[in-house]
Amino acid sequence: MGIRFILCFNKQGVVRLVRWFATDDSSTEPQEEISQIYRLISSRDHKHQCNFFELSETTKLVYKRYAGLYFVMGIDITDEEPIYLSHIHLFVEVLDAFFGNVCELDIVFNFYKAYMVMDEMFLGGEIQEVSKDVLLERLSTTDRLE
Amino acid sequence: MDRRKPFIDSTVSNTGSNIKGLQLFIADLRSSQQSEDQHKRIQSEIVKIKQHFNASTGKSSSNGRILGTDKLDGYQRKKYIAKLAYIYITSNTTMLNDIIFGLNEVVELIKSNVFSEKFMGYMTLEVLYRHPIVVNKINDKVIAQLIQDIGSTSDDFTELGLNFVGVASGLTKQLSSNPDLVSEVFQILRSPTSSLYLKKKSTLAFLSLLKTNNSILSEDIQRRRLWIQRILSLLDDTDNYRLTLTTLPLVEYIAKNIDPSYFTRLIPQLSEILYKCVVVSNSGLRNNDFPEEYRFANMPNPWLITKIVSLLHSLIISPSEIERNNGLFDSGLIHTDNIDSESLGKLRMCVMEAINLGTRRTADPMEKVVQNTILFSLINFASKLDPSHEAIVNSATALCNLLTSNDINVRYLALDALIRLCSFSGKTAYDSIRGKNLDLIFHILNSEKDSSIIRKVVDLLYTLTDSDNVKIVIDQLLHYLTTSKHLTDPHIKSDIAVKIAILTEKFSVDPSWYVIVSLKILSLAVMSAKDEEIWRRLCQIVVNNPQLHEITCTNLVEHLRGNNISEYVVKASAFLLGEYAESVQNVISISELFNLFAEKYFMVPNSTKAMILSTMIKLYKFDPNIGSMVIRFFQLELNSLDIELQTRSYEYLKLIQISKMTENSHLLDALLQPMPPFNTKSNPLLNRLGSLSTGSTSSSALVPSRSRSSSTFFEKPMPDNTDINNTTVMTSQDSESHEAPRPPPARKTRSSSLLIDTLAKSSTVDDKYLQLKLTGNWKEGFTRMIQFRQGVLHQSPLLRILYRISILDATRLEVSLTYINQTEWEISSLTSELVASHTDNNPEYIVQSSQVVDSSRIAAHQRVQEKFEVTIRKPFSIVEAPIINVCYTCGGSVNTLNLKLGVGMTSTLASNGLVSLAQFVTRWKTLSDALGKEGEYQANNVFLSALTGENMGEHMSKLTTTVKRMGFDVVEQANLPQTLFLAGIIHTRSDGNFGCLLKLTCLESGKVNFTCKTTTGGSLAQNIVECIQFALVK
Repeated sequence: MGIRFILCFNKQGVVRLVRWFATDDSSTEPQEEISQIYRLISSRDHKHQCNFFELSETTKLVYKRYAGLYFVMGIDITDEEPIYLSHIHLFVEVLDAFFGNVCELDIVFNFYKAYMVMDEMFLGGEIQEVSKDVLLERLSTTDRLE
Repeated sequence: MDRRKPFIDSTVSNTGSNIKGLQLFIADLRSSQQSEDQHKRIQSEIVKIKQHFNASTGKSSSNGRILGTDKLDGYQRKKYIAKLAYIYITSNTTMLNDIIFGLNEVVELIKSNVFSEKFMGYMTLEVLYRHPIVVNKINDKVIAQLIQDIGSTSDDFTELGLNFVGVASGLTKQLSSNPDLVSEVFQILRSPTSSLYLKKKSTLAFLSLLKTNNSILSEDIQRRRLWIQRILSLLDDTDNYRLTLTTLPLVEYIAKNIDPSYFTRLIPQLSEILYKCVVVSNSGLRNNDFPEEYRFANMPNPWLITKIVSLLHSLIISPSEIERNNGLFDSGLIHTDNIDSESLGKLRMCVMEAINLGTRRTADPMEKVVQNTILFSLINFASKLDPSHEAIVNSATALCNLLTSNDINVRYLALDALIRLCSFSGKTAYDSIRGKNLDLIFHILNSEKDSSIIRKVVDLLYTLTDSDNVKIVIDQLLHYLTTSKHLTDPHIKSDIAVKIAILTEKFSVDPSWYVIVSLKILSLAVMSAKDEEIWRRLCQIVVNNPQLHEITCTNLVEHLRGNNISEYVVKASAFLLGEYAESVQNVISISELFNLFAEKYFMVPNSTKAMILSTMIKLYKFDPNIGSMVIRFFQLELNSLDIELQTRSYEYLKLIQISKMTENSHLLDALLQPMPPFNTKSNPLLNRLGSLSTGSTSSSALVPSRSRSSSTFFEKPMPDNTDINNTTVMTSQDSESHEAPRPPPARKTRSSSLLIDTLAKSSTVDDKYLQLKLTGNWKEGFTRMIQFRQGVLHQSPLLRILYRISILDATRLEVSLTYINQTEWEISSLTSELVASHTDNNPEYIVQSSQVVDSSRIAAHQRVQEKFEVTIRKPFSIVEAPIINVCYTCGGSVNTLNLKLGVGMTSTLASNGLVSLAQFVTRWKTLSDALGKEGEYQANNVFLSALTGENMGEHMSKLTTTVKRMGFDVVEQANLPQTLFLAGIIHTRSDGNFGCLLKLTCLESGKVNFTCKTTTGGSLAQNIVECIQFALVK
């Protein structure tokens, strides 16, 4: 049930954000898993192939590319895929509003703030808040805290 | 996003939380073009950070110099940790070992009292907790700090603590196994003073804890009930549904993994929210009170919708699922038939509205995504709502239309939905899909370039195949395997091969076709090592079916004579021709056969070579004339580098020598007896369907559920105790590969294990019933209800419950309950659930809700009503009468009531007109003659606390009114003033109607002697007496 991990990497495969919510006992080392996912997704055609991929017996991938960044969610194999595209899109929208016309560099230099956004939106593998106004208000408060 | 956008331009909010040193470091790294330079820069930074950390802990650095006496301040610590975190993340986590030295400083950081420092500490740990080595090093310290932070008076610290739990407890069991931490988190969840924000965090943090440790709720039943009630009260938030959104996944997890029975009562409430969200909020009506901010991309809130639908999915069990499980299911789930008609109506409206929304044209890509999300979520759910034949056909047609959509995601989702539809709705669904759309599906198979889609197409074809279309489906799949240019994913190839193998075995009606197809798959050489099972399965089937021997062997010889033969075909040939070489003697001579194998021998790996050696000795047995060739071959292989081949050659050589010396073949015959049939009925290949079975939402796999294929023509009863290893000369390696495949392990789905539980306790009272603790003054209402058709069931300063019983027919009652709010405040989250003592297949009585409570809220001094029906099927004790469990919140307090309803055998009592004493005596005698003591029950000296009168007269009149109210006929007589003679007829739906006669004698002491006779054996007489006793107990 729910999101198993969130990954964000650029076209060169450099990880920008990584968040695990669940692991298999027998799962491979994270770096292998990440590079496997990178190879897989970067090799897929974005016009003629869909945004979903069955990765393993436990995990499906839902992903989308925004400019040079891939946003990937690994979800439970029993979940229905499409809502996670909305998850990703909302996440990008909030990042965009929070940083003001976000680009990869914002996430590079302020990766901890990007995590702050992620923390407000996703927890325990589930979405926590979907109102952009509420999120931005909360984020600007947190950002101003010492 | 533009990667080249200069750093200075990036509009980052300029606040105190920026870390200049970190940004310089990152800018530095980015300016060095060579990865070597970057690496150097990182290493020097790590050295610098190490020195600072060592200095702060007082250790001397490597060169012996103490770096400054100043303690590391919080800001610096935060800065260094942030750098380490950056290094770790951008190295794709490979540099863990380079930065792990900083762990203790991270722990220091989470102890800080400055928010941004604490945040950085927790954030870094959230990233690193994926590694057990990190967890083991610092977990104890982290937990101590967590408990302190969550309990802190600062909401911001609590928030950080909860966030960490919500992330990290999914990565290690060490958080969820700490009871202090668990209760600290739950404390935030339940406390009425927690802010909405913290409550949201705590529900998800708690969910995360639960996911790695079910025993938090599964072990202690009292706690489970209490905590689940607290969780349920969170769903009251109907102002903005924020808390609802985070509580739903928690509820769903508990329903799926721990106990669904607490939640079936939510169905009306959930249906209402869904209806408001999908239908009302979208209608543009004035009275739409649904929060506008909760629309997304001009559509109803897809998150709330998918969460509710997903929960409903796991609570409702549809008729076809029950059919598939042979009528057995988890009693905690609710059957589609038992959903009240209002909710069912709303849910069906939601499905229709989703389909309407789905056809709306839009240019906004995000709106389209949301549209599809809602559409597929509800279409996949529709099969739970017991759709008509027509509705299924319509869904199938609509989904098939979507297969031609331009949007590739839609095509994928439509295929997925079709597979689900087939697995839920069975024959109707696949008949209507197969009828017209098979060609379309083949077209997709051949034209799509996306392996995700191909996978779904293959799954769908697999689901749709039966003996009528198996040939055409398999032709298409084989054609695809051999010709497709887009097929690059080796997993899919092997997946298709396995599915072809299963389908041919399952549906084949033509043996030669079976053999040809099987060999075709084997010769495709698309398979991985895992696919060994395919040729083994073929061998098993051929061995077990003598009519296949000749045709298979003939085909194998054809293959052997060709070029480019796959290793699997060689293996199958080595085994089968070794066994049945005689069957092809008119096609090929033994010596020719030997030559063929000798030729292949040098093209195959050692394990196959070993098999061929065994084949050769078998061939020798068939025709000793090839002896010299065989001996020469074995002698050659004595020099093999492979120990296994060498050993076999040596052993087989010896065997030939012995048989030549003794001039008979007794030893060879004894060792090489014909292969006995395999004792494996189930196909091990079915194990390989992993993704297909788990991919569908249903817990049971598609394959076993389809009864169409109970047995193929191949299968026949097989003798036991056939151990293939005993009968052939095979050394370790070979015997291993010939070992009969084990049957697949039983699928351990949740439903099946519960099934066994259900069976085991079918004759006993349900655990859930036994666990309910009755509310203190339950007896008052209970006693009243046995005697009166209407009255007060329960009364407290907060809530009053009135009941009214109406008789629907002889064995069916309708009970309506009215809840009246006694207070000045609102009562909210009112839910009720009827719990029967038996819910197995043949219960004594059935309770069914006919009208759920109108609203879960009751305004001050207002009332709401609910109705349900009770059907009496068989005699039962009133001790096991149904219990109504009512939960509600009033002024912040959560209240639970468990009230036993006064419904028993006397509830269906009817009089048979007045009975005279003479008639009574005659009947009494007739019953005694016919049944003797059977069907009789006696209880003497029973004290009845309600008989409080001073004298016998008062006792007698109280007794008389009570039994008259209950519906008994009282025989008029004056001879025995202290005795009552009663008569009546008890109605039950399944067991029929029974007459009963009672004699009650009041003693001087105020106690009563009972004798009851009924027209049936069993406990009925006792059950009737119990009803009277309970009616007269205070």
